[in-house]
Amino acid sequence: MFKKMYSMLALLMVLSMILSACASTPAPSTGSDTPEDLTLKVLVHQNPPMVAFMEEFNKKFEEKYPYITVDMSVVNANDLSTVTQTRLTANDVDVVDMFGFANAAQPYMSQVDAPNWQQLIDAGLLMDLSDQPFVKNYDEAAIQDAGTYNGKVYEINLGRVSYSGIYYNKDLFTANNVKVPTTWSELVTACETFKSIDIPCMTAGGKDGWPIFVGAYGLIGSIYPDQEALVEGLWNGTIKWNDAKSLEMWEKMQVYARDMMEEGASGIGGDAAPGRFASGAVAMFPGGTWYGPAIEEAQPSFEWGYIPFPGSDNADDNKYLFGKYDQGWAVAANTPNKDAAMLYLAEFSDPENYQAFVDAVGFIPTQPTAQLNTAIGKEVAPYLENFRVGYEQYWIAPKGAGQFANPWASYFKPFGTDDDPKVLADKVQADLQSGLDAVK
Amino acid sequence: MAYYFGSKRSRWTPYLLLLPGIFFYVLIALGPSIATSVYSFTNATGLKGAQIDWIGLDNYKEFLFMGQAAKDNFAALGRTLIFCFFVTTIQFGLGLLVAVIINQNLKGRNIFRTLYFMPVILGAVIQGLIWSLFLFPLGGPMARILELFGAQSEFLGGQPAEAFAWVIVIQIWANMGTTMIIFLSGLQTIGAEMYEAARIDGASSWQVFANVTWPLLTPSVNTNLTLNIIGSLQAWQLFLVLLGYRNGTQVLGYLIYAVGFGQTSGSVTSSFRQGYAAAASIILFLLVLVIGLGVNYILKRREERIMG
Repeated sequence: MFKKMYSMLALLMVLSMILSACASTPAPSTGSDTPEDLTLKVLVHQNPPMVAFMEEFNKKFEEKYPYITVDMSVVNANDLSTVTQTRLTANDVDVVDMFGFANAAQPYMSQVDAPNWQQLIDAGLLMDLSDQPFVKNYDEAAIQDAGTYNGKVYEINLGRVSYSGIYYNKDLFTANNVKVPTTWSELVTACETFKSIDIPCMTAGGKDGWPIFVGAYGLIGSIYPDQEALVEGLWNGTIKWNDAKSLEMWEKMQVYARDMMEEGASGIGGDAAPGRFASGAVAMFPGGTWYGPAIEEAQPSFEWGYIPFPGSDNADDNKYLFGKYDQGWAVAANTPNKDAAMLYLAEFSDPENYQAFVDAVGFIPTQPTAQLNTAIGKEVAPYLENFRVGYEQYWIAPKGAGQFANPWASYFKPFGTDDDPKVLADKVQADLQSGLDAVK
Repeated sequence: MAYYFGSKRSRWTPYLLLLPGIFFYVLIALGPSIATSVYSFTNATGLKGAQIDWIGLDNYKEFLFMGQAAKDNFAALGRTLIFCFFVTTIQFGLGLLVAVIINQNLKGRNIFRTLYFMPVILGAVIQGLIWSLFLFPLGGPMARILELFGAQSEFLGGQPAEAFAWVIVIQIWANMGTTMIIFLSGLQTIGAEMYEAARIDGASSWQVFANVTWPLLTPSVNTNLTLNIIGSLQAWQLFLVLLGYRNGTQVLGYLIYAVGFGQTSGSVTSSFRQGYAAAASIILFLLVLVIGLGVNYILKRREERIMG
């Protein structure tokens, strides 16, 4: 019995040695000029037009550099920071997609933690890109504002986006003789007109949570056009979320959440919302410029426009577009594939490739030579001189602040529990004040 | 009682055999738990290479006492207990009921067994996707059913209390199969002669259940109650998949995840705070420990009373 078992074991060992010898035979050296095959791991967030572009770009990159295989992972935008944290820590990624640097601690903020991008750099996990030639392809302001920390460049930012506008269905507006709104009253009237003929006024990807409140950021902008000053005012107490000016904002937010948003919007995913709008079922869609390509792709013949959210009854207050620096590239400091990563970024930064990228995703370019060719680009072009970085890019909540310490329209019913603007305004200010008092 | 492993060196055999298990327990369970308790006294970010400072009880003070956020944490603690109560009682009751029914000599009982157990093997993401589609407010199956009665709902995206209630339902659906299988295995250890004797004595169906089935199911009852309580106190994945970070819906398990991985600020970037999340984990651990030990004590006494 034992003899048989030993024979079997011996046979298995011999077989496995032969197999492993076959498997581990190294490829014959092709000389020192040919680089070894390698896999470049790239991490991006889910944005369908961008992912489609990247897949094409990766194919061309692999054709140009046959020894490099690009292994691209796509994660939900909400999970990007988590996956970036874990994969950088595990040294399991080479190139990461990061949103533009924002939310840096300001001198008037006390006891706040550094934002996650700063934590990554301080931990030595991101590579200094300052000396890379491709950095010069981008405009200095974008490199400085969205990718520089302590005088060194850690990210090349690929474009600005606005999130404070509204897409509108041109055919529905024309067919129903509705004027494209430039003031809050006109917006309310437009919604009432559409609702009276059973056309939902607005939709948004409420299932992801943030599209509801981000959709109303333009409303905050029309009341507080200087959003950096707004954040400082909230921290030093000169602006309160329950003062008269803010109360007007809350009242309008309630109208937005309760009367303007279609029933069932909370079940629509962020990725599905552009399709819902492009189907012609709703008149308007408050959202970011990044949705433009998805709307075009869903219904190429669909006629739409994009206007700043008219939150004020004075049209001059509604001329601003608020937004942020969106996606950028950063490289893992400890990557074993530094040369390949630099080739990847250099290839991407080539003006021709970059133009194709902004054409695909609808970003407002950060390369000075790039053109605004897209439909959304043409829509936002008239407002570009009034482009401002939005409130949320400056804001850091004080420790101890409650979970309602934000200017979010989603606190109102049907998305939240509140239906009284005054009560909500007091609650939001109390939640914020609680944190401000705690860190004094 | 004779010692089966001989004398001298052979006496060490059982301990040697236990070594691999102990090694993996220390590596996977005990080690990280100790590390978590140490991290809870630091400002660790979870990033390799980041400086870690000893900050004493600051994380605990912040979690328990700092501003409105501390009150929100207690609200999450309260929701965790509510979630635990409803999930444990309903899942326990339903699992027992289904196991008793399936244990009968019914046609096709294997199919039902498989159907009831199937959700367990799906995983939180698939479970979440199935229910998100089922509860889609714009024409999803459940919305259509409600339409028949002239009603409508935003389901998971609506009022926090309603969304929270749906997560309870989905958690029960997702895990009831395990409870059922444990009860089923318990039921199958009860000999047919016990039932036969009770019937001969003229016991009704209820009396058979109350005086034969229920007492003899005691080990399964204890196992299920313990698993259900611990499982529901630690639940977080379905909250992440179905609701995300929404005010009025967080339980402690999900709060820990959101804080640890910088997901508490909606669409903006927030900080990685694994030291703080570790402190919250220890608080959750203490909660599970106190409730678990209490329940275990009661169940043990009950078992001793019944089984002798």
